[in-house]
Order: sequence, then C-alpha cells, then structure tokens
Amino acid sequence: MSSIELKVPDIGGSTKVPVIEILVKVGDEIKKDQGLITLESDKATMEVPASAAGTVKELRVKLGDEMSEGDVIAILESGEATVEKPAAAVVENKTPAPVVAVSATPVGLAKDNSDITCQIVVLGAGPGGYTAAFRAADLGMDVVLVERYAQLGGVCLNVGCIPSKALLHAAEVIEEAKHAADYGVSFSEAKIDLAKLRTHKEKVVGTLVSGLTGMAKQRKVRTVTGIGKFISPNQLEIETATGKQILGFKQCIIAAGSQPVKLPGFPWEDPRVMDSTDALMLHDIPKSLLVIGGGIIGLEMATVYRSLGSEVTVVELAEQLMPGADKDLVKPLADRLKKASVAIHLKTRAAKVEAKKDGIHVGFEGAAPEKTIYDRVLVAVGRAPNGGKLNAQLAGVSVTERGFIPVDRQMRTNVPHIFAIGDLVGNPMLAHKSTHEGKLAAEVASGEKREWVARVIPSVAYTDPEIAWVGVTETEAKEKNLQIGVGKFPWAASGRAIGIGRTEGFTKLIFDEATHRIIGGGIVGVNAGDLISEVVLAIEMGCEAGDIGHSIHPHPTLGESIGMAAEVYEGTITDLYIPKKK
Amino acid sequence: MSVLKEVKVPDIGGHKNVPVIEVLVKVGDTVKKDQGLITLESDKATMEVPAPFAGIVRELKVKLGDEISEGDIALVIEAADETVSSTKPAVQEVAAPKKADPPAASEEKIVAPVAVVSISTPVPAGNPVRTPPVSFDADALMPANVPYASPAVRVFARELGVDLAKVKGSERGGRISKADVQQFVKAALVSGVASSGGGSGLNLIPWPQVDFAKYGAIESLPLSRIKKISGANLARNWAMIPHVTQNDEADITEMDLFRKKLAEEHKDVKVTPLVFMMKAVVAALKKYPNFNASLEGDNLILKKYFHIGIAVDTPDGLVVPVIRDVDKKGLLELAQELAVISAKARDKKLGPNDMQGGCFSISSLGGIGGTGFTPIINAPEVAILGVSKSQIKPVWNGSEFTPRLMLPLSLSYDHRVIDGAAAARFASFLTQSLADLRQLLL
Repeated sequence: MSSIELKVPDIGGSTKVPVIEILVKVGDEIKKDQGLITLESDKATMEVPASAAGTVKELRVKLGDEMSEGDVIAILESGEATVEKPAAAVVENKTPAPVVAVSATPVGLAKDNSDITCQIVVLGAGPGGYTAAFRAADLGMDVVLVERYAQLGGVCLNVGCIPSKALLHAAEVIEEAKHAADYGVSFSEAKIDLAKLRTHKEKVVGTLVSGLTGMAKQRKVRTVTGIGKFISPNQLEIETATGKQILGFKQCIIAAGSQPVKLPGFPWEDPRVMDSTDALMLHDIPKSLLVIGGGIIGLEMATVYRSLGSEVTVVELAEQLMPGADKDLVKPLADRLKKASVAIHLKTRAAKVEAKKDGIHVGFEGAAPEKTIYDRVLVAVGRAPNGGKLNAQLAGVSVTERGFIPVDRQMRTNVPHIFAIGDLVGNPMLAHKSTHEGKLAAEVASGEKREWVARVIPSVAYTDPEIAWVGVTETEAKEKNLQIGVGKFPWAASGRAIGIGRTEGFTKLIFDEATHRIIGGGIVGVNAGDLISEVVLAIEMGCEAGDIGHSIHPHPTLGESIGMAAEVYEGTITDLYIPKKK
Repeated sequence: MSVLKEVKVPDIGGHKNVPVIEVLVKVGDTVKKDQGLITLESDKATMEVPAPFAGIVRELKVKLGDEISEGDIALVIEAADETVSSTKPAVQEVAAPKKADPPAASEEKIVAPVAVVSISTPVPAGNPVRTPPVSFDADALMPANVPYASPAVRVFARELGVDLAKVKGSERGGRISKADVQQFVKAALVSGVASSGGGSGLNLIPWPQVDFAKYGAIESLPLSRIKKISGANLARNWAMIPHVTQNDEADITEMDLFRKKLAEEHKDVKVTPLVFMMKAVVAALKKYPNFNASLEGDNLILKKYFHIGIAVDTPDGLVVPVIRDVDKKGLLELAQELAVISAKARDKKLGPNDMQGGCFSISSLGGIGGTGFTPIINAPEVAILGVSKSQIKPVWNGSEFTPRLMLPLSLSYDHRVIDGAAAARFASFLTQSLADLRQLLL
C-alpha cells in the first residue's frame, strides 16, 4: 500500500481554474478514470479523472479553489503502486512545483513535507525584520520570524546602534567630567570598571531584546531560531539547534541584513584584529588602537576607546573623514579628535597587517603614521550585504554580484511574492531605513496599495561632536551645479552652546534658490542627531525658509539654531550681524 | 580653422518632449550632410533628425530616452569646410537666442531644458534593476523634479493610483493637498478618463493566454514601432467609434479610359485611379460638409479645407501621409505629389507635418484585390473610404448587359456624426462623380 498524489493534469495551459464541483469524498473507493473534481475555465468545464484506483485518504481542494496544472487534488491510498516513498510516487511525470510555486496564490502551498507553514515568513529579526513581522501580524497575517541568533533585534540592537550608544554615553560622561574643571567643577580621574560597563551595555541591550520578545508573543508572531535558506519559491530550510526544519510560506520578506567587510589578508584569527562586533565586546582597553576606516562606525568606536583611555590612530583611504558628509561638517570633529590626540591619517591604506607577539604590526601606504605596532586593530571599512548567502536562486530571486537583492518601490524582488528590505537592498545601510522598508513590505504583502514615498534619509554619526546630515549636500550641489542658497548659523552665537561650552558646532540649511524650499541640511555639534529630525520633516513637507524661520523655536536651545539658519538665509537674523552685501 | 556648431532639433510639427529612441552617431563620428543623427518618436511617427551640415560630432547633448522639443540642442558638430577665421566660442556662430547674452549664459539657457526634462524620466516601475530601489540624490529631491506634496498626500495618491505629476496643486506655490488629489480623481471619473491616461474604461476580460509552443514550433518577432503605434490608435478608434460601413460600386469605365489617355500624354507622372478618387471625395465633402468634420465633446467642428490622408503600406507598417488642399490641385499635380509622398513613406522620411491635418482618409487595396472591407476611421476624422479591386462586370443598361469596369467602394463612417441616409447619399454621389467625371466640374 502506498500513497499517490492525484494532481491536476495538463489543462491546456490555463492557470487558476476554479473548482466548481467535488465528486468524491474522503474514504471513497474510486476507480481509475473516475471523475474527481470539475474545473471550469473560461472556455469549458472539465472533469479531472483519477489517474489511479484506490481509497481517497485526503482531499486537498475545496469548492472555489483555483487550480493549475500540477496542483495536488487528493491523496489516494493505492494497492497497486509499487513505489515505496510517498513523495516520489507522483503519477504525473512532469515536475509540477515551479509553475505553481511562483504564483503568490495559496494553492500549492500545503506541501506535505513542510514542518511549519505560515502566510508570511520574515527572514531576519533585525530592526527591519521585526518591524515587518510585527506590522504584518497587526494587519492580520499569520507570521513566522526566522532569526539565526537566539536574541531578536539583529545587528542594531545586539552589536550595533544600541550597545555603541550605551558606550558612547559613558564616553560622553568621562569627557564632560574632564572638561568640568574648566568651569570650576573638578572630579577625580575616572576609574573604569570594564566588567560593569559591559554589564550595563548588556543590560541596555537585554531590556530592548526582552521587550521585542514580549511584543512578538503578544502579536502571536512565531519565532524560529536557526539559519534559514531557500529551497524553493515557497519553502525555507531552517537549520536549528535541534535539526533541520522545512518551512512553507505563501509570502516572504528577506531581511537578512549585512555584516562587516572582512578585508582579505588580515590575520582575522587573532582576537586583537577586530570588526565592529568584536570592538563592542569591550574585551579590554588596549593601550594603543588602530582604527582602519574613518567612517561613522570607525569614528564612533575611536571616540569610545579614546575616552576609555586608549591611544587611538585612525587611517582613512579617502581624503576626508566620513566621506559623503560635507567637509565643513567634519572639521569640528576632526579638530576635537586632534585635540584629544587621536592621530588621523587621510589618504592612507593599511596594506599589510601581521599578528606578532608584541602586537599587531601594520604596514601603511600613503600618509603613514609613525607608529606601526598596535595592541588592537579595528577594521571598519564598511558592510557587505548578506543577499548571497540565502540560496535565493532556488526561489528564483535574483541577487547582484555584490550580494544585494534588487527590489522595486514596493520592496518586491523579481519574484512577486518575495520581498526584500534593509541593508541587502542597497545603501545606505541604516536601521531607520530598514524599519521604514519593513513596514512598507508588510503593508504591500497584506494587500495595501503602498510604495516608497520618502525622499530623504538622514545620516548621523554619534561621535563627539555628533554629525548629522540629510538631503542635498553642498558638495553634491556643487558637483551638479544646482542653484542653491545656504543659511549657516554658527553655534558660537548660541547662548545654549556657549553655556555647555560646545561652541564648535554649527547648523546649516540648504535651499533651492528658485523656490526657497529646503532641500538639505547638516548639523555638527552636541545632539546633532536629535536636531536633524526637524530638517527631515521640513524637507518632506516642502517647507520654505520662511516656514522654518517663522515657526517659533524655544529659547535657549540648540534646536533654535535651525530657525536661525533659516533666518540667515532669509536675511532676517538678528542674533548675528551679517554685513549687507554691497 | 573649423568651427563648432550646434545642431538643434528642427520643426517637429509642434510636438514637445518627444523621446529620443535611437542615437545614430557617437562622439568622434564623421557625418555627412543629411545623415541621420538621432531618431525621435512622436505619438504619430518616428523621424530622424538629419545633420544640417557635414563635420565631426564633438559632443552629444542627448541620450536615449531624453525628451526633446524643437530648438533643443541635440549635439555639437565641428563643421567641415568652414572658413571662418574667428576663434570665438561656438555659440556665437549659431543663431543664439539673443545676441546680447554672453556666450556662457545663452549656452546654459539652451541646454537647460534638455537636462531638466531628462531628470524627470521616471524609474521604470516593476522592473527592479537598481539597488537601492529609490534614488536619494538631488535629482529625486529638487523641487523642479518632484511633485510638491507632503508624505501623507503622496501615500494617499499612491493608494488611489494617482500620478501626482499630473495633479495641479491648489495651495500656495502649487502645493498639492489631499483635497486636490480627491478632486483629480473625481474629475477623472466624470470625464471617463482613467488616471493612467488610458482610455475608455472598457471592462474587458483578460486576453487569452496561450502557450503556443505547446502546439508546434513558433518564433517570436517584436512589433515594429509603427505597428505598435498604429495598433494602439486602431484599437482605440475601433473601440470608441461606432463604425458603420456603406458599400457601393462605381462605374469607372470612362474614368479609366481618361486615366489611360492622361497617362499616355504624361509619361513622366504615374496617374493612378487614386487621384480621381481624391478629387471625387473632395467634391463629396463639399456637398456633404458633415463628412469633413471632427467631433469635439458636444460640438461638431466643420473644416473649410480639404486635406486628404492616404493610407500607405510600408514594410514597417501602415502610415497615413496627408495631401493638403486637394481641392486646389489638378490631377497631375496630385499624381506627382502622391508619388513623392509615397516614396517618402517607404523611405521612412515622413515627418509628423506630413501626417497632420487630414480631413478624410482613403485606403486603397485596389492594386491587390478584394471586393470590399471595413476600413477603420482615422480619428478624429469621421469617415474613411476603402477602395477594393475594380472588375469588369455585366451591367444592365436598361436594354442589355454591357461590360463595365466596376470599382467597389466601402465607406466607414462615425455613426455618432453621420446617419445612414447621409452616408448612402455621400457614397452614391461619389459613385456618380466617378462614373461621370464632368460632375466634378459642377
């Protein structure tokens, strides 16, 4: 005795043909060629005959289902079949899966070999992934969230934004205390209990992660811990601690993120050579630290380790720190780092890195630092998307050579029922971009008519001072010969900035000359990352300079500087004296 | 010393923002006078922009997909055979818009429109090729390039499938409000025009999907551009115009004798039956002005001129060049003009001007065969004459059957404008005129 799947035969190429009649029921003894169901295409009605005799064990269709060639109608227990394996005992010789599976319809989903089935699976539980999962659940979908690590939250929560900010806060306090002596408040030298600092960081992360886990439960989002890879357009294979599981889905959101670029030829096996994840572990406070890469991540970690007492050297390949930001925004940070005796070497490459007993030996090209031996080296030269690690080709999803997954404005990949979001759909790799995309993908998947409408994504470096920018930069405007006007307000004229002793900052707004509408902005200074939000809102709303200048900003705040910068552009500022041109 | 000259887009029949579908030269190419430089595709035709002089291409100012209008600079050619000794910048050598402008400024002025238009070329939707899917650079942000609407309004418009670029904002500075989007949808519903700019809201069932390869060997050939364009026009006209076809026969025995005589006397021109039909049609149009008309909303526009479109079969598909002022031209002149324009059509040299302004079209299959067919009206015209193959037939003249050369005519008309009796009268006037050409003199 063995089971046979009775499938829909060639029905003239019609797909999704509705079932208008079911002629058998479970338990029926049927003969070969006996009618099973009646289908009605736009051309004709047709009876689907049984391709073998036996007892109907299971019916896989119901009235109104839409069927295509190869879909399973019923499972038959047959005395005649000689094949042992049920799955292989397929009567039709054609391989039915691909046709059916690519369509996003429910049919063909109920693959008997799936251990778990769901309406939508989200692959990756970073900020984009959990947002997508939660939004999908809130929209009434049955969601499974697959995450390789036991904790939800991905890079951002566990080894990125959140722990780094916890450490940066410590750094800030240390610096504040140091400078308090300037206004007559002296503290003794900071004593650092590294274990306690680590615990604090982990507590911060833990609070958020447990919050996520709780919210997943409340929303009835099932989570599966393991590494998921595609095995078909409707199935993932998940390698869990307890073995492999097959998950069948109707729709999928790929949110598998990115990971730090590991430069080849570096002695990665040596723990003293770190990526950003390692650096956040805070194993020790190295006496000397080389940071390779003067971007946001490199400079944030440089700030942390410098405050904790390391002697920090930064090498950057480009001709400015934080490529992408306007040069003037970066200068106050570069000055401050220099003052804190962080050595910065631009247009410099770490060409050769060797791990020796006395330290990591580094050979440089370009404006090489004198020091060539470091206790630790942090490599922060960017992140690489994980698109290439998912066997996406088995689902028919195209992946670029670099590992990005191309999507449209609705976050759909080339396979319409599979979406992708976050770092692996393209730069910038930012959590707040990913969450926005995750929400969008979930809404589209649930049938809402949505697409990407945001025009700008802010970037923030949580260095000391912070640097934040959004929209058109002066550099881009110059390159493209755009007709712009700039309103720049130096914090030296801000009472608040003077009060906290941080006058190195400034706020600048960039306007379209033709319409006076704001198209960009950059802020450097304390809390720049918080201040930039107003600029983002203004750009999205299409504010004119006058809209910003004539909105009352509270005094004395750093936020005021945004209103003032608009007034500088308009020529109505009174907190500065700007001699009239001619 | 040779001189840089700008090549501008010539008169393209008043069309604006015509996309460049082909760039035929590249920088460094030596081009001859009249050699094709770029190909433009208007909604009516494709046309080549020829080089106005010979020289070497120094700079291309357009790229594939750019939309350009008359006067835009297409490219810069270093003219050969120029003997101008001046080394002044190129712009001054060409007819710059204003002499007073300094060269740099005027150059910018001319170049700008091209650049701006190219920016607004949308990213092809549903065709995911780029990572990230959305551009975050200035091109996607500058007020000139994006609709003036807040994120919530953008989301709302997407939900309703409204292209914000088509919505006029009622708020300060043209800012689009939610109410503007609602108003746009309402207006679109009332006028029956879908927001996608499509057509008529025919609620059709989907086109049958057939896997032809299942039944035997097949080959898939892309449609020519003309086929695609004319196909869309024909489908719209067929779906929107209530066609009725009136069939009749004209006795052209005498006409043909006259034509043969004319042909013998004027060997340099090919006198075809078509020119006679054009004259006869004009006479009929004069007598029945409703046929020389277009429907515009609730008004009938009557035309006081007589331009006749002639359907010409080309290897790439059907085109309809227009012969102007047929009423003012003699048979020989028309024959000559017809020969020229047919040759132009077959050589793909027809410009949009050659295809505009028609009042009535004639589609002749007389050289091939057939006894009748249903020609599709060339909107916004209201009637079209189909001509099939003439045959000698026995005709009863009252006392006996005589052999007469009979020409089958099929007149399709827009029943919204013309009723059956009028069509019958028009057709029979036409046959009478052709039977007795003297009628045309009346």
